Amino acid sequence: MILLESHNYIIQTTLAEKCIKPSSLDVQFVDFDGVRFRLSTPERKTSLLLSMNIRCWDELVKYGVDAVLRREYGGRVKAEPEPDYNVSLEIDLEQMPPEGEERDAYIKSIALLKRNALAAPFELAFNAQKELEAAGSGQGDLMALHYRDEEVIYVQASPDRVTVIFSTTFKEETDRIFGKVFLQEFVDARRLPTIQSAPQVLYTTREPPLEIRHLPGLTDSDDVGYVTFVLFPRHFANAAVASSTISHIQLFRDYLHYHIKCSKAYMHSRMRHRVSEFQKVLNRAKTEAATVDRKTASGRSMTSR
Amino acid sequence: MSNTLRPYLAAVRSTLTAALTLEDFASQVVERHNKPEVEVAQSKEVLLNPLTISRNENERVLIEPSVNSIRLSIRIKQADEIEQQLCHKFTRFMMQRAESFVVLRRKPVKGYDISFLITNNHTDSMLKHKIVDFIIQFMEEVDKEISEMKLSLNARARVVAESYLAAFNS
Repeated sequence: MILLESHNYIIQTTLAEKCIKPSSLDVQFVDFDGVRFRLSTPERKTSLLLSMNIRCWDELVKYGVDAVLRREYGGRVKAEPEPDYNVSLEIDLEQMPPEGEERDAYIKSIALLKRNALAAPFELAFNAQKELEAAGSGQGDLMALHYRDEEVIYVQASPDRVTVIFSTTFKEETDRIFGKVFLQEFVDARRLPTIQSAPQVLYTTREPPLEIRHLPGLTDSDDVGYVTFVLFPRHFANAAVASSTISHIQLFRDYLHYHIKCSKAYMHSRMRHRVSEFQKVLNRAKTEAATVDRKTASGRSMTSR
Repeated sequence: MSNTLRPYLAAVRSTLTAALTLEDFASQVVERHNKPEVEVAQSKEVLLNPLTISRNENERVLIEPSVNSIRLSIRIKQADEIEQQLCHKFTRFMMQRAESFVVLRRKPVKGYDISFLITNNHTDSMLKHKIVDFIIQFMEEVDKEISEMKLSLNARARVVAESYLAAFNS
């Protein structure tokens, strides 16, 4: 699996299972970026309540997450979310569409809850870009999304593009070095003719890009990297392209770190193999102690006690 | 094998073979102690001249012989940050398994990446020329391994970046 999926697998499988055989349940689980979910049946077996807690909810509200969720889920969004959580969806299993593709699509749309919530600032920026393009000049607001403790996504619209900046921290020296190699490849990969139309990628370590340099509270450390994606209007030309771009770009940070961890795991298994090879070479050097079966005069084997 | 590697390894091999003439030698300072003299370094007369064999400024081997033990330290080539990190990981991984590698030292000598300590007990229980073979093979393969790991990291990074960016086309 090279690309990560933007829907939540647990929601998808649990819902599909419960459609066939409703039963009471109460599960809590997590997704990328410290998002917490709770799926429970507070009243009856056929009425599920899915709640989500996301770190940057206050910021998302500013960028119009309510409207996005209402558009996606309609009346299923509860007016009062469960305590400790930011948003709750009520799913009535009796009103599920009939089995088949329609139901799968319905379940998938619910599993995309986190993606849809995080899509709000991107949609806002895409719309802002269209307005700015019509106006011919100006700059959109710089929208910050503190989706993890020390890591932020910045989205800004301009008349001809939308800039998305990720700040990411590497917790370890190895991660930092591997991260550098990966990010350099992201920059270089665009030279390939097949992916010329991909967004432009720039990265810097330590030095924040010009767009966000004026912001207070940026960490000044070698462990911080900034990755800038420049999205051109062709990346959000129509609704389908825009939504796939949003799903895709949201997962950039997770994708990068996931692959850094994967390569570390690979290195480890490789070293394990190599060290066992060395071990064999060294064992060859050992002289075998001669084990002669000593017999007593009567012909029985001698055993040491 | 490149042109400079062959004489380098040959020099290490013959020096090591010559140095591996070890005998049982009890401590002259403390009664009933029998320790590797190169580590204890309490009686100067049993230590021999240490010898450095360098391939270039980044790769060298230090051989410190003594009457009952010899210490061999290797400095592995590290051209950039990635190789440095990989080399550090690899040597650490090995040194954590020093019990099973009987001749391996748990810590490298200062200025080197990995050290081996061969005592007279080891030469008694193991074949001398095979120990030398092991050291030489280690030196040959560690460079290869590190550069292969680096290549595989770059290859993975390339695939990862390409498949991520290609997904924007669809």
